[in-house]
Amino acid sequence: METLAALGNGFAVALTPINLVWAAVGVTVGTAIGVLPGLGPALTIALLLPITFKVDATAAFILFAGIYYGAMYGGSTTSILLNTPGESATIITSLEGNKMAKRGRGAAALATAAIGSFVAGTFGTVGITFLAPVVVEFALKFGPAEYFSLMVLAFVTVSAVLGSSAIRGLITLFFGIFLGLIGIDLQSGQPRFTFGLPELLDGVNVLIVAVGLFAVGETLFLAARRKHAPEGVLPVTGSLWMSKEDWRRSVGPWFRGTAVGFPIGAMPAGGAEIPTFLSYWMEKKLSKKPEEFGKGAIEGVAGPEAANNASAAGVLVPMLTLGLPTSATAAIMLSAFQSYGINPGPLLFQTQPDLVWGLIASLYIGNVMLLVLNLPLVGLWVKILKIPEPLLYGGILIFATIGTYGISQSPIDLVILYVVGGIGYLMRRFDFPTAPVIIGMILGPLAEQNLRQALTISQGDVTTFVTRPLSATLLAISLLLVLLPVIWTLVRRRRA
Amino acid sequence: MFSLRWPQVAVASGVLLLGLVVLWQTFQIPVSPLYARIGPKVVPFAVSFGLIALGLALAVQSVTGRWTDEAELQDEPVDWPSLGWLGLGLVLNLTLIGPLGFVIASTLMFVCVARAFGSRRPLFDTGVGVIVALVAYLGFDKVLGINIGAGILEGLL
Amino acid sequence: MQFNRREFLGTSVLGGAALAGGIGFAPDVRAQQMVDTLQMFVPAAPGGGWDGTARTMEQALRAAGLIGTAQVTNVPGAGGVVGLPQFINQWRGRQNALMVMGMVMIGSIITNKAPVNLSTLTPIARLTEEYLAVVVPAESPHRDMRSLVAALKANPGGVSWAGGSAGGSDHILVGLICQAVGVDATKASYVPFAGGGPATAAILGNQVTAGVSGLSEFAEQVKAGRMRLLAISAAQRVPGIDAPTLREQGVDTDLTNWRGVYAPAGVNAQQKQAMITLMERMNASAQWKEECTKRDWTPTFLGGDAFGTYVTNEFTRLSGILKTLGLA
Repeated sequence: METLAALGNGFAVALTPINLVWAAVGVTVGTAIGVLPGLGPALTIALLLPITFKVDATAAFILFAGIYYGAMYGGSTTSILLNTPGESATIITSLEGNKMAKRGRGAAALATAAIGSFVAGTFGTVGITFLAPVVVEFALKFGPAEYFSLMVLAFVTVSAVLGSSAIRGLITLFFGIFLGLIGIDLQSGQPRFTFGLPELLDGVNVLIVAVGLFAVGETLFLAARRKHAPEGVLPVTGSLWMSKEDWRRSVGPWFRGTAVGFPIGAMPAGGAEIPTFLSYWMEKKLSKKPEEFGKGAIEGVAGPEAANNASAAGVLVPMLTLGLPTSATAAIMLSAFQSYGINPGPLLFQTQPDLVWGLIASLYIGNVMLLVLNLPLVGLWVKILKIPEPLLYGGILIFATIGTYGISQSPIDLVILYVVGGIGYLMRRFDFPTAPVIIGMILGPLAEQNLRQALTISQGDVTTFVTRPLSATLLAISLLLVLLPVIWTLVRRRRA
Repeated sequence: MFSLRWPQVAVASGVLLLGLVVLWQTFQIPVSPLYARIGPKVVPFAVSFGLIALGLALAVQSVTGRWTDEAELQDEPVDWPSLGWLGLGLVLNLTLIGPLGFVIASTLMFVCVARAFGSRRPLFDTGVGVIVALVAYLGFDKVLGINIGAGILEGLL
Repeated sequence: MQFNRREFLGTSVLGGAALAGGIGFAPDVRAQQMVDTLQMFVPAAPGGGWDGTARTMEQALRAAGLIGTAQVTNVPGAGGVVGLPQFINQWRGRQNALMVMGMVMIGSIITNKAPVNLSTLTPIARLTEEYLAVVVPAESPHRDMRSLVAALKANPGGVSWAGGSAGGSDHILVGLICQAVGVDATKASYVPFAGGGPATAAILGNQVTAGVSGLSEFAEQVKAGRMRLLAISAAQRVPGIDAPTLREQGVDTDLTNWRGVYAPAGVNAQQKQAMITLMERMNASAQWKEECTKRDWTPTFLGGDAFGTYVTNEFTRLSGILKTLGLA
């Protein structure tokens, strides 16, 4: 009851006309920057920080939260329509989403992404409202050993994207891990695979690799086979809207994605990408039509989209309850707190109730705004696909270029974008799957760092992974997931 | 049935080569006395061995003709002129973005890409390209305040 | 990456009407404007500590009427080592230009064996200091630094320290502590985390024995009773901070995360003096003091050649400890 009363006060703060304007500006800006590859919410909020010198704290945070949620919505649009992920958390969305768009089902894909984001964002916000203290205590039980085991579990999901040949799938996975290792090693401070270039010391941006592999690679691929096998995008057919079957197939993934995304997002080293991998894998396993995966299965859009939005809500849990920044965006929002002389920490709910509850209330409002903003736009967005090929692909490359070069002004980043694009072309031509590169690049370094952190803490004792109950449970689940299908086949063979 | 396919062998060799480069670079990683237990080289070694082993397996597949694709795209003829135009566009953009600025370099790339996809209207493409690049540039520069380096055209604004 | 904030705020869609009614600084006393446009070079991404310093400087300088406007250029990467060559070469001879830097850059130049250093640049001033803190989880048996040091001496590897990246300021402090109490610094179980958030989480979750980071990173957790503050790394007691120093507890070392500004290479003595005076006046302004209080920065101004000497000494001291740690 106390929570509800506090939330009521929050709505009273958030529903003032000026704060509603800030929320609307935030979600609109967020959607726009989410669409652009390279320009994420963290950088945008950092650029907007001078606003803290001009407006009051509540308004600024309502604006920032709107941008944060909006970026998650916007990032999926270009993933689906143009195979150009706007955010690293929407890379997985493009796997099925872009296939759907090519089959003329772009509108349904956009709609399930938008509604799934709304469902996940809303339930995630409910989670912040009522479960934050519980979730955060659970999340703190995760130490490096547990994270390592969680990464092992997440690696199982690679099996969903290996493609027709395990050898080629694993090659791309290892290639991704290699890309992820480039840069200064956090644990030892030593540079790895930087080839003497200072620009590589901070590593290779996963989004540049994704845009290179998907957008540039695909453009090269289509150009190379234009004369022999022109592969035009099918016009939007049938109803623009989701069919009854689409709804039926989307509802489960929305809720499962939310359930995976929120707690992992709340973990200090969880992140927004891992839940999308888990959700994609889960939906492929649970789907009655797993054969549709890779060809445009709507579950593969609905689940990961819900997962990344729920994880965005999850990230706010440690930020608001403990003052812990667990993502780049949260870190920058915390530095905004400091420019108001507010010290974010465990006492924030007590010392700044208006601010915190106003922010939470604005998240509910922002989600509704985003749905209202995005659903009508679906019809407009899909018209992008009607642009003639020469102009469409020229435009995609311009946006990929400005997204890469505009952020860093480093020609090296452009070289990486184009070289990875060339590799992406070869991978398509020789039937290598591209998704494992991304999974390897994100999971590989995380698993390595957590492994080494855990072993430093345990002074080299490897049993730490099985003697800690949570870690052991996670490892056992991973083992089961690998073994169950094998056992299942054996049992069936024996019966037959 | 024995069928040796050179492109496949080349790809397998590429993977092997990558594995060897990773191995060579792994030896270059300096090791501090601090982390002798699980140092910065362990995972790189694993990656290089993995790539070398998988590259060898792929080579065997390609030599023995057991490399099978679902889509069988690799025997398709390549439209070299289109690919050439596209490649030219990327190289032009990369080399000119510094000296001439984003708008000019990207417009040239746009024209080349349009050409690669069969456009025969270079003037029209130039017009569209300039507009798209300018909108992107102005969005970054004026709305977000990210100044992506002034080129010739940008300086006039 | 160049971020032109002034232009951004002036012309953006967001900027216009909505901000016009906002609360700005109301400068009561307009000082003599010294610089029309101050160019600031930040070798880090927007949102970090150096960027925050640059932006706060801009606000204070403008509010105090000392400058007309400021332009901030960000070139992020590797603790400033990516941006530094650009400042050395492309900003040579520019007047009214300053680069924000700090102790972290010294460490980064050493550990990354950077081909360039600060020797050709013009030292202007150290502006602020932040102290590092040694904390333990609330559940920890250690009540003070002596107890933690005793455990460290008994079993150096058995005490795990959470902090930032290897070779960074947190790691350097752990190395200095070990050295001061006669423990082999390479034997310490230092656990680098990717940033303050994950490190703080590991301490709160009682995953490690102790943690080291900037005091402001931990202050709220300490206030809420979720961590115990054992010591801060200042040389002497700091008024306003209720914590003993390392030295007070028999650990004879100190380390501060200072931040300062450099002018480009090749500026003449007159231009150098103008920048030093500008910083002196900013440091004396009420606006700067107010912002420092808000952000928990201790303004410990040190100007001109004295600052240059200070940086040279820091370089020698940090090189020594980083060599011991095997990172230089």
